[in-house]
This record gives sequence, structure tokens and C-alpha cells, in this order.
Amino acid sequence: MPLLKVEDLKVYYPIRSGFFRTVKDYVRAVNGISFAIKEGETYGLVGESGCGKTTTGRTIIGLNKATSGHVYLQDGEQQVDLLNLKRSEFRKYRSDLQMIFQDPYSSLNPKKRVKDIILEPLRNFEHLTPNEEEERIVEALEKVGLGRDSMYKYPHQFSGGQRQRIGIARSLVISPRLIIADEPVSALDVSVQAQVLNFMKEIQKEFNLSYLFISHDLGIIRHMCDRIGIMYNGRLVEEGTTEDIFNNPQHLYTKRLLSAIPNIDPQKRLENKKFRDRIEEDFKKNFRTFFDENGRIYDLKPISETHSVAIP
Amino acid sequence: MLSGQQLLQIKHLTTSFRIGDHYYPAVDDLSLTVRENEVVAIVGESGCGKSALALSIMKLHQQENTKIEGNILYNGNNLVSLSVDEMNKYRGKEIGMIFQDPLTALNPLMRVGQQIEEGMKNHLNLSKEEMKQRSINLLAKVGIPNPERTYYQYPHELSGGMRQRVVIATAIACEPKLLIADEPTTALDVTIQAQILDLLRDMQKEMKTGIILITHDLGVVAEMADKVAVMYAGQIVELADVQTLFTNPLHPYTRSLFNSLPSADHAQDRLHVIQGMVPSLKNLPRHGCRFAERIPWIDSSAHEELPVLREVEKDHFVRCTCWQHFDFPEEAEVKNHAVT
Repeated sequence: MPLLKVEDLKVYYPIRSGFFRTVKDYVRAVNGISFAIKEGETYGLVGESGCGKTTTGRTIIGLNKATSGHVYLQDGEQQVDLLNLKRSEFRKYRSDLQMIFQDPYSSLNPKKRVKDIILEPLRNFEHLTPNEEEERIVEALEKVGLGRDSMYKYPHQFSGGQRQRIGIARSLVISPRLIIADEPVSALDVSVQAQVLNFMKEIQKEFNLSYLFISHDLGIIRHMCDRIGIMYNGRLVEEGTTEDIFNNPQHLYTKRLLSAIPNIDPQKRLENKKFRDRIEEDFKKNFRTFFDENGRIYDLKPISETHSVAIP
Repeated sequence: MLSGQQLLQIKHLTTSFRIGDHYYPAVDDLSLTVRENEVVAIVGESGCGKSALALSIMKLHQQENTKIEGNILYNGNNLVSLSVDEMNKYRGKEIGMIFQDPLTALNPLMRVGQQIEEGMKNHLNLSKEEMKQRSINLLAKVGIPNPERTYYQYPHELSGGMRQRVVIATAIACEPKLLIADEPTTALDVTIQAQILDLLRDMQKEMKTGIILITHDLGVVAEMADKVAVMYAGQIVELADVQTLFTNPLHPYTRSLFNSLPSADHAQDRLHVIQGMVPSLKNLPRHGCRFAERIPWIDSSAHEELPVLREVEKDHFVRCTCWQHFDFPEEAEVKNHAVT
């Protein structure tokens, strides 16, 4: 049984206009996507800005309201639909899901000490004595490679990479099962980025964590993920293992994304550009064939055991 | 290397910022030449002084808190000693700049057309009608699908990629001979990044512009640059043409940068991490090799006392001697095993 199963998730935002602010149409930010994440697995969600990948992540964790669909979380032998729970019932599962935010500069409260930042989720879910609390905080800080003395510092006293690690410590302290990482390293320098990515892999092994890894950087996605879903216009256009996607991309949109990655070899520069131009031309010409008569991207169809593509 | 005419010559440039009562150099004794029709990439992590360098060339720093020493020769004229009015003759006309964030670089209250014409008003003697025509041509040139309509639009009506195109159009409006592009694609998606880079390169070929491309993305460098300068802590640590640098990087910092990239070819589990962090401006080591403290396993005798950029092979410059003794700890281990 997968740890998390998303089924036909839709998130629509109403467009209101006119004198009475009546609903005229909807922005279909997420328009029916389904995927599953197994325990200990990293699932990558890739796409350009505005494709709905962040909305998907936020909806799973309950920061956005879903219009319809199901998000099943495994609980022992049964599956619980998180979207159909009462607020009080949802609380029980909230500690299983945690989020790492994109920007380590704005996702930590500058007025709080590191101790209080990490303490917040702990106080929400557990009742501990001050001594136990301190123990847990130190434990969480040590996991992310920060010392006991950083407990009483403020976020501005840390560098970008360290701050992101404080963010990770905050999400780890209540032992979640799934972490939703929304562009966790895109605000960081390459060397710091390597630090954070290594670290995320380490703790994954240690705690058998699952990640939903949201990013637009395909190099990082390739390094981190076991399986990948490519999103476009609120729909999945292709899904498969990392090898499937990178070595055998089927959908033209996936090919276009892959062709846009800058190649690290300066000798292949011209070759790359030609390839890119060809794909771009193809993309423009065949743009309409991606959509069915209602203007929706097709449903995913399996082409092998692990690989599915949205083609008619 | 391309042998165009020398366009910009930076000689011993030191840009210092005031913190409290002291001036701290963010760019330290830097020399660099840009030729016509040449793309020079400047690579480095945040805080290495690459943006400070760009702003020094344009003289866009706050005057009262900055001290600029050394010479920046543009076609033989020293930009450092120019007054504001004289400098304005160069800005836009001779040297154009593309800023990182297209949202903040454009004035939200001005129509796209007006912003492009702003430079032309100052530098070119054109009638209103001519300026409009030229702006529309420029918009078409940077690949905006409906230039007549976009001319009257406001920045908020455009997407990020389109805005960056407008910024580029503004920068090239008076056909400057030198373009400074400060992280031109960092805020954009990969597909749009590819488009913008292709666009920049096509224009560069057409107009024979010299470009200073500032970026932290080695992929972008590989796609665009002719010559690469790697900066660390205010200094150039390695300078070579793009081919040499990518096939034979020598300085420990350059090699560390390459090594910390997630790459497809060797699907290693762990990425290389450069120890420590970029020292802040106040705590920069002023003596010896500035990178030394981040490679502590290298014996201190490997470093020079006053490291200088030295030509190790033709057109390949490396600072300090430590590169000759440098191995990554993992590699060193393998070597030791072989010996014992």
C-alpha cells in the first residue's frame, strides 16, 4: 500500500466579476491529477512556474482547499482520505506531513529564536516538560548538523544553508512520514545546495522518509528522485521512473523541458541549439495535438509497467 | 580566443564599501579585458563580488559609501574619473545593462514603449514617430509576438519571460557596444532561460557586442561564454577560455564548484560539499590564499604568501600555487591506499 495516494485532485479558483461578484469562470490550477508515493520514496513534481505543482503540494498538506478529489494517507492497515476529515480528525494526521519551504529567508520568523521556531510544531502535537522539550530540540538540531548553542540565536545570525537546515529541523522534530519539499534549494548557492541535498538524502535513509520533491531544476530532480511526474497546465503529462523520463521521454512537452537544460559541455553548444530549435518547432506545430476536444490534456496511459504518458 | 578590438579594460580595480568607519574591498585588485564580439562570463557564489564589479563599471553604487580605485578603460577613456553627467553619456549608449529581476528593473507605472524610449531620448536624435517605430522593431527583435500591442502595455500585463525580453530591448535600444548581463535568466524557467540565452547569443553575433555575463550557473556559462573568470572573495582565481576551463579546471575552487553539481553522467549518491562558507566582507582573509580555509586538508605550505594570477599554460591563468597539490579528500584517500 502506498504511503500517500492522490486521486483525481482538483483545485479551482473562482474568477469573479460584475456588480454582484458572481462566479464567471474558474482558474483550473490543478485539474485532476493522480499519483502515489511509496514509503521511503522520493517523488519529483516538475514543471514550469504556474503549472500547479506548488498548489498540489500545498493542497495535500491542507494549506489550500481542494475542489474535489481524494488524498489518501496510509494509517496502519487502512487508508484515510485527508480531504474528507473533520478538522479535529485531521489534526491526528497533520504531524505525519510536514513541509520545507522554498525561501529560507522568509519562512522563518525573524523575531523568534531558533528554539521557539522548532518548538512550535512540538507544542502543537505533544505535551512535554521543559526538559524533554529541550532534549528534543537539541536532538533535532544535531540531526541537521547545528550545535546546542544555536538554540538561542535568531535566524538572521545564520547563513542561507543553515537557515534551510533550521527549516528542515522544524519539520523533522515531530517525526513526519512524508515531507513536502517545495523548491528547497532554489534560493541557495551551488555548494550550499549540495550540502542541503546530501543532508536530505541522509535523513531519508535514517528515518525512511518519503519526499514529495517539487522543483523546476531537472538536474536536481534527477539526482534526488526515484519517480517523476511532469506537470503542465495543472495536469500530469508524463510519469515514470527517473530513467524512463530522462532516457526515454515520450511526451513532446517533456522533451522540450529536457532540451532546455543547459549542457555543461561547451563543445556541444551548437548541437544543443539545433536540437532545441527542432523540438521547439515541433512543439509549436503539434501544440494542439496535446489536448482533447474540450481543451484538456489527455489522461495518462501506461506504456510500460512504470511509465505512463498523456497521449490520445 | 577571438581577437577583436579591446573594448573594456579593467586595471587593478578595487571597489570598497564602508561598514562603520572602515572601507572593506568587495572587489580586490581585479584586472580583466573584454574584447569586441566576446562573451566573458564571471562565475562565483553570492558574495564573491561579481555584482559589485558590474555596478562599478556602470558606476551605479551609492557614491558616499563606496570607494572605487583603479582604472576602468572604455575605449581608452577612464570611467572611474568621470562625473555623473559625463557618465550618463556612456550609460545606455555605450554600455547597456540587463538586470537580474525583470520585475524590479522595470518601472511599474510606465508603459513598455516609454521605458524603451527613455534611453533613446537622451542619446539619439530621433522624432517621436521614429522612436516608436524603433521600439516596436526592438520588441519584435527580442521575440515578443505582438509588438504593437506590447508597446502600450504595462509591465504587470506581461509574463516573466516577456518582461525579461523588454528589459533586454531597453538595454540594447541604443545599440551599446558592451552589455553587462547580471544573472539575466536566474528568475526564469528553464525553457524561457533557453530562449533568452539563444536570443542573447543571436543578437550578440549580429551586433558584435561584447558581453559581460554574470552568473552562478555553470550550465549557462557553458552555453554562452567565450572566456570565463571564476571569482572568489573579490578576486579572480581562474581565468581561461571556456573550452579549457571546462575540460581542465585547475584551481581548487573551480574544481569544487564543478564537483558540487548534480550531474547525470556519474549518478553518485553524495554531492561534493565545499567546507565552510563564503567569508563575509568584514572577515575576508587579506593575506595568503583566500580559499585556504575551505580546503584545510591541504598543507599550508602549498599556498603562496601573496598569491598572484599566473599563466600556467597559454591563456590559462590560475591564482596561488595550491592547485598543484590539490586533491579532493576522497581522491587523496584512494591515492594513499595505492601507496600503502
